[in-house]
Amino acid sequence: MSNRRSRQSSSAPRISDDQIIDLVTKLRQILPEIGQRRRSDKVSASKVLQETCNYIRNLNKEVDNLSERLAQLLESVGEDSPEAAVIRSLLM
Amino acid sequence: MQPTSTMNEEFLKKWQMGLQMFRPSIDNASVSERKRAIKLSADVAMASLRKGTTCWSRALIQKTATEDNFLVRQMLSGIKEETLINKKLPKVMCHRKIVRRSKKILMRRKSRSAMEEVAAKAKKLVKRKTQGLRNVVPGGEFMSNNVLLIQETLDYIVSLQTQVNVMRSIVDAAEAGIER
Repeated sequence: MSNRRSRQSSSAPRISDDQIIDLVTKLRQILPEIGQRRRSDKVSASKVLQETCNYIRNLNKEVDNLSERLAQLLESVGEDSPEAAVIRSLLM
Repeated sequence: MQPTSTMNEEFLKKWQMGLQMFRPSIDNASVSERKRAIKLSADVAMASLRKGTTCWSRALIQKTATEDNFLVRQMLSGIKEETLINKKLPKVMCHRKIVRRSKKILMRRKSRSAMEEVAAKAKKLVKRKTQGLRNVVPGGEFMSNNVLLIQETLDYIVSLQTQVNVMRSIVDAAEAGIER
């Protein structure tokens, strides 16, 4: 039994339970929804990983949206207008 | 761990620096060019917060450098370049063929009970989700060590939160300033 496990862990590294618990604890501080939904030891590893992936994707999407909004904003103001000056002072 | 106000300030400073350098792209360019410049500056600013100490930040910088090397070099001139751009990322990849072969051998050898089946499926699912995580974290393909992957993920998330928070504040303020 131990033979098989050690062989598995050397050729197929997988996340151990301790690492998952650690990740869940830290993620709980970042993603409050997971912590409130279930107790720490009952949350499935794959669920945590999935939520993490989704969260990262959402953050990236938000950065993209914000960049778009800002680009549009700069487009809509005239170059020498007071509004442009406001934005410039914020950004540069 | 949460984004600190120091991180926010540093990010803002670096981002502003990048936007300054991109002035020509921002002033006289199309919306999409501008957006690209804004996003690029934000990503380099975020990555530079870590000063080359994390795998994801190095990978992100390398990725951005292929798009705009000049900007990257300028923005990171405070940090030793060798540690950022030229440093080789550890290329320890999971030897998938070996994994597959040993799994096949294992499956052939033992007779599986129902519980073992369930456990095996769970492990497979975790493995798949872990690979999904590798796909979203920059440089993830080089992190075959799962402990490292988790550490990098957590750090990456906090940095992303910093990036989003600061950008959101700026854009909200800018929009409010315009609408007055």
